[in-house]
Order: sequence, then structure tokens, then C-alpha cells
Amino acid sequence: MSENPIFSREPEDFYYMDRNVPCQGACPASTNIPAYIRALFEGRYGDSYEINRMANILPGVLGRICSRPCEDKCRHGEPELGKPVSICHIKRTAADHREDRSAPPYSSFPDTGKQVAIIGSGPTGLAAAHDLRSIGVSVTLFEALDRPGGMLAYGIPPFRLPRSVLEEEINDIMSLGVTLKTGVRVGRDVEMQTLLSQYDALLLATGCYTPKPLNIPGETLPGVFPGLTFMMDICAGKAPPLGKRVLVLGAGFTAFDCARSALRLGAEKATICLRRTEEDLTVTGDEILETKREGITISTLMVSTRILGKEHVEAVEFLRTQPGEQRPDGKKEVSAIPGSGFVLAADTVIMAIGQGPGPLEVPGVQDGRIPLETDKGSTTFPVRGLYAAGDYVTGPSTVIEAIAAGRRAAGRIAQDLTGKKSRERVVRLQGSKTTDRKRTWDFIPRQEMPMITSTVERIKTPAPEVETGYSREQGQEEAKRCYLCYLHYEIDLERCIYCRYCIDVAPRDCIRMVEAIKLNEAGAIVGFAETAEWRDVNAIVIDNERCIRCGECRRVCPVDCISVTRVELVERVSNGRE
Amino acid sequence: MSWQHYIVIGNGPAGNQAAFTLREKAPEARITIISGNVGGSFRPHLLPDFIAGKIPEESLFVVTPDRYKEKEITFRHGQRVVKLDPNEKTVILDHKEVISFDGLIIAVGGKPRIPEHLHSFEGLMLTLKTVEDAHVWISRLAGVDSILLIGGDLTSLAVTKALLHLQKKVYLMLTEHAFWPLRPDEALFAEVSDRLACRGVEVLGGEIRKIVPSPPGDSFTVQFNHRPDLQVGLVGAFYGLSPEIDFLRRSGFRMDRGILVDEYLNTGFEGVYATGDCAQIYHPGLRNYWVSIGHANAVTLGKVAANNLLGGKSQVTVPTESVFELEEINVNTSWWMEF
Repeated sequence: MSENPIFSREPEDFYYMDRNVPCQGACPASTNIPAYIRALFEGRYGDSYEINRMANILPGVLGRICSRPCEDKCRHGEPELGKPVSICHIKRTAADHREDRSAPPYSSFPDTGKQVAIIGSGPTGLAAAHDLRSIGVSVTLFEALDRPGGMLAYGIPPFRLPRSVLEEEINDIMSLGVTLKTGVRVGRDVEMQTLLSQYDALLLATGCYTPKPLNIPGETLPGVFPGLTFMMDICAGKAPPLGKRVLVLGAGFTAFDCARSALRLGAEKATICLRRTEEDLTVTGDEILETKREGITISTLMVSTRILGKEHVEAVEFLRTQPGEQRPDGKKEVSAIPGSGFVLAADTVIMAIGQGPGPLEVPGVQDGRIPLETDKGSTTFPVRGLYAAGDYVTGPSTVIEAIAAGRRAAGRIAQDLTGKKSRERVVRLQGSKTTDRKRTWDFIPRQEMPMITSTVERIKTPAPEVETGYSREQGQEEAKRCYLCYLHYEIDLERCIYCRYCIDVAPRDCIRMVEAIKLNEAGAIVGFAETAEWRDVNAIVIDNERCIRCGECRRVCPVDCISVTRVELVERVSNGRE
Repeated sequence: MSWQHYIVIGNGPAGNQAAFTLREKAPEARITIISGNVGGSFRPHLLPDFIAGKIPEESLFVVTPDRYKEKEITFRHGQRVVKLDPNEKTVILDHKEVISFDGLIIAVGGKPRIPEHLHSFEGLMLTLKTVEDAHVWISRLAGVDSILLIGGDLTSLAVTKALLHLQKKVYLMLTEHAFWPLRPDEALFAEVSDRLACRGVEVLGGEIRKIVPSPPGDSFTVQFNHRPDLQVGLVGAFYGLSPEIDFLRRSGFRMDRGILVDEYLNTGFEGVYATGDCAQIYHPGLRNYWVSIGHANAVTLGKVAANNLLGGKSQVTVPTESVFELEEINVNTSWWMEF
């Protein structure tokens, strides 16, 4: 492979990326994770931040509160390989330690003369605004609340996401030339039809702000709060009075934020009540650990059936549950066990079971229903110029999913307005002389995130950030652990002498003697027909899905027939190419 | 049937009993025990006496590798299962070997439990679960005079006796976690505190804020909330055990505190059972789930699992009054009586 990069749009190369760089494949925004980790290791904190920002817009924010689907797929976390790389913490390290904190450059595209209104300044709206503005589209963001950020500003407590970090990155987006109008509620202060007539396109990114009810007796009693309302009140500086014993019903990030916030508001005991088990939680392991560390109890396998009390909530009645078959979405069915009722006393109950989109009169839409035809989280309505994206379309999702949805919607809007694609994803391939990594780095333990360990200090001090962040040295040490899965190892069969030295030194069963290589319709390698019979061996191949890029094979090869190629999924200006 | 291969993971009392019952009732079957521990099956409650030098290492072991050989049970020791596929009926070991089974009993027992608020200091504290742990204690004790034991479970009381026997200065921190798996009342708390104090143990209350290793690394400064710092040579954590089931994550098992099983100890997968300390069972009388601790319970559960794997229909029953709640977990223990 040449040292000059080449760019591919071949389906087999996209297939390869999805399977062989699992972290990037798992990221809804397709962040080039190996590249930013490598940049950080080399001390290029600003570059590391920029590689992030190009894909996920808000690296400092996500470095703190991302749901980290990448880490679940990290090859280092496979059973015999240890713990996944702390990808998210490295992202934060880049944001914390970059030296150049100046705003990103103003649009490098000429002005298109097009104007887009975006309703909602949460992660979806911000991402769409960023992308549209950066290709020369004029953008106005309408925000109903006093501050921009949506759930980031009103749904996540400051001890997980300091507002200074959020404000800095929102300001960077605004500095591109985005116009922000806060305190403007569409439907109350301005009609959607008016905006449609004033702008070339209108994007609905209003998120989900209507709490779902439990539909059980007693949920309207005083002392019972919807989780999102509870968090929004706290973030707005209007925390409600709480009792000593707080029960939180729910299993998502909001439920955990509510319980941790309740302790900070003076509750003596907070309990999170789950229908399923900790195994089924979608919040990160770190979040579970820190929640428990603060003394919060997580009770499992229970479902609320009634909230009890006369003038005020006094207790909650539950049934025990049992998990059943696994559903296609990976969650297990759960059913209540008849006759298993029990009661837990409570002074405050917080219902954090999710939320849906608020009522919004959308032109061309009957019964308030959103058209089901979606493009992975974005959609167009039967009204020209009207689009929707993010949680408003999909229901509650994660911040990184919402950002990805905003970026997709921006791409769709830009294409409709200009008649051409502004950006495209391609696979970049470039020969690499060195393997970049040392085998000893595979044994470095995962660097734990430094944090305020004293529960008292966490709870009594006004809103300190619990996680204090890696030092530069810790960040670089953690970066060494990344296998750099974007490096592709390949044996040149015309030069291979079948000495098998590479097989002998491989720390994993990643080099195979095969009769045949199985390809799919796109021409991508999907498997191998292995053989132990020497006379049947037609090739010795490296299985890059098993390979941990240790470089040992290349180091021992006597004929230097193993090449390394840096393979990356990147985004670039498309020049209008379809 | 002679070609059946049964695997038992774990060689504690539940695993051993399961394997021996399988051998007794299925004389032709191929039986394999896989255990991460090296050597045979040992008596964990004798580990403090071994640390004190009162008994030789050999006397720790109750089931030696020869015993498995006599019973024609393949004993793979020092090997760790890292993955289990209950649908394909295979286990994967940490050296990448894949082994197929027709029936499986998971009897992995527990690992030392560290409460979340002390996770940051996990690497600075010693625990005691295995013979290897005991060797670490012996080597580290050689260079220190004072030891702080925190948690206060029943093992820590035995370790206290061992340390006094070695003429060490012992600080014992009794908290609400003390006497795990029992729930102490004030009278028991006071009586144990008095007796320990009479024997020279300094009994402490309060909450640990931080453990800081002092350079050059041969002592620790323990910082508390509401009491002066303490300088000690070693810190031991004794907060009981929790099921060692991390390797089953994402294998499709229903797991909570332990592996969720029905009253027949079946995991929901055909031919796959969990038993002993790692099994969690619903109890209609309690209206809650419970787990089990102690040698006698483990033996009983091991026998039930083996019987049922071979087609039996034995149910696990436990009187409501013998189960108590501890930190949100309902525990049935035979340990206290044994202690």
C-alpha cells in the first residue's frame, strides 16, 4: 500500500470498517476513535479534540456524559483481553488539556443564500446548526427555555456536566454565525406556519419533554414528581422540597441523576427501583458504581402497582418480577409474580420512566402523529421544507444518538436546498511503515478516572464535578492501551514462505491456515475455511477481527511479507458527488 | 448414558457434592470439574489458622486431586472459564480452549466483596478467600506490627484471633457491615466489642475517608471522618462474599445478585444449573429472592442440582424464618451455626 492515501467508496471497505474497527462502528456519529486516541498519545491534544469535534460536535460534553457504546464494543474488553479502553475519558482529556481554545473557523464554504430555522437547541438542534452553518447556510435557533442546550442544560446535573464546559462548546457553535433566540416557544410566541414562510427550511428538534405517566393509582399525590420535571426544576434553580426517604422508579440516566440529586438536596435515603436487574441497565458501569458509592440503594426485580398515602405520598406498593425470554432489542421480558406484593415506605417518589414528544401542531400532520418514514432519526413531512430529527422523532435516545441524528438531518436539508451533497463518508487507506504499538502496552491496566472520593465532600459542597479528569500522563497511558484497530495487517501470499513463525508468536488465534476465504456479495471477507492439513493449506491469513495489532507477526517475519495499512472511515467535502 | 459429558464449574462444597453425586448416579458419564484454584478443595474457615502458623498447608485441603482421580473425575485446576455459551453448550477457558458439555452445573461460589464506597482503595487492601490470598497475608505480615481490619465479617473475627496469636497490634473497625452475613443487634455488637477489647484489640467506629500508602510503601495512613488518622502496616477488608459471576455477563443468563434459577436450580437453559452461593431463588413465602451461604447449604444445593441434571425433580426448600435480609439481599446461612 502506498504511503500516499487513497480513498474508497467500495462497499466491502465500509463493511470492513464496521467489523474491524468496532468502536467507530458502534459510535452513532462514527467518531474516528483510533485516530483521536493516537493523536492524544502523540501529545497533539488540539488535533485529538478536532478529530472528535468534526464527528460529534461536543467533545468536552460527551467526554463526560456519553453513554459510551464504543466501549461496549472495544476489542480490549473481549473476555481474555482485559477491560475496554476508557475511550470516553480520553475524549475528555483532549478537551481538558488542549492548548488552543479558540473557536473553530468560520464557514469555509461560500454563503449559499439559504436560511434554515431550527426549533430546539438541544444536541440535535446544535449539531444540525453546526453542520448547516459550516457549509454556508444561515441558521436561526429557536429555544423555548432561557438557555440553550436542551437536556444538556436542563436534564443533566452539574455534578456530571459543569455548565462552563457546555457553555464553551455551545458558544463555539454560535461563533460560526448561528443566530440564537431563547425564550421563544413555537406555537405560543411564533407560529410554525410563519417560520415556514420566512425560512427555506424548518427543522423540528424539540426533543421529548412530556413525562410518561405510570398509570397507577396515587401518582398525582403531593410528593410524587415526574423525573424530568424534577431535574429541570433543579437545573433551573427551583429545587422542590424533598422528604427523607426517596424512591426513584426508573432505570435510565434520568433515574440515576434524580437519585443522586435527591441526596444533594438533603434526602437521607434514596433507592432506585428497577423492574429488571442491574445486568439490564443501559447506564454506564461507572454511573452505577458512583451511584452506589454515594450510598444509594439499587433494588431490583420489582414493579410499582400503587402509590399509597392520604394527603401526601407515604409508601409505594410493588410486586416482585421475574425476567423471561430475551427480546429482539436485547432486553429480557419481565413479568410480575402473582401474590408477591410488598410495600416500601417513602416520603418522596420520583417517576423517571421516560418521556415523549410534547404536543405540537405541525402543518400537514393529522392527530399530532409524526410520519413513520424515517431516515435513521430524521424525517420529512408532507409539507415542503419541514423536517424533524432527534428524540422528537425517535423518542428518548442518548446524546450521541441525538447529535448523529442532527447531523444526518442537516445533510438531508442541505442536499434538498442546494441540490448536491456537501459531505460524504469514504474509507481512507494509507500504507504505514511502523506498527506504532508495543506489545507491552497490552498489559497496562485501565487508568481509573480520578474523582472526589468522599461522599460527604460530594454532597455537601455546592455542585462540584465528581469526576476530576485524567492528567496528561494518565491520558497518554490510557491511550497506549488502544489496539489501534484502524491498522490493517495483511500477509502478501506471493512473498510468504509459509514458515509459520507468525503463528508461533501470535498471542491470539488470529493467524489462520486456510483452504479458502469466504466473501460476501460485496466482496468483503466474512470468514475462512480453516484446515489443519498442511497439504490443504492455500493461504496463511490474518483475521483482523481477532487481531490485536500487537505487531509481533511483523517483527518475526523473515521475508517482511506482512504489511500494515491505516484504514479509516472519514468524512470529506463531496464536491456535490452523489 | 456413557457418552454424556457433565461439567461442574467450581470445586467448593457445592461443586464437589454435585460432581460426586453425578458420579454416584451416572457411573458411566464423563465428569469434569473446572476450578480457578490450584490444588484441591480447601476449608476456607481454616485459612486464619494457617496464617497464624497453627496448621500446615496440607491440612487445609479436604478433597485432594487424588480423590477426584479415584472417582474418575477429570480435575482441571488453575483454569478459569471466561465465557459460557448455554445454547451451543460450550465453555471457553482463559487459554482459549473450548470444551463442549451435555450438562453443566455452575458452582462458582463467591469472591470477596468490597463496598462501593471503598472501591477506590481496593488495591490497597488485602482480602482472604483462597490459599493464595493466605500466602500473601503471611508474606506481608512478616514486615508489619499493626493491622487494621475493616468490615467485621465473621472471617475477620477469626483473622483477629490469628493476628493476636502472632502478637500483632490489631485495630478492628466494626460498622453496620459487621458480622456479615449476620445482622447484629446492639447487644451482640456490645458483647463482641467488649470481648475483643479485653483481648487487646482496639475496636473502632466511624467511616473511612481515604487510605493513603506512605512512602516507601510499607505502611498506610488511614483517614477517617470524625476521628484522627491511623498509621498501620496492613489493611484487610472483610465484607463477606458476593457471587463470582462476571464471566457470565452477556451470556444470556438471567442474573441479579446471583444467577436467577427456579426452585429446581435450573437457569432457564436446558441442562444448565446453578448451585451453591451463586444461585438466587425466588421464595413465595418471603415474596422475595434469596441466596445461600455456608457449607451445609452448599452441600444440599449441590446434591439437588446434580439430581435434577440427571432428570430428577428435587425442589429447594428453605424455611422462611431461616432467611434474613442484609443490605437488600435475603440470605439463608448455615455459616453462623458452623462458626
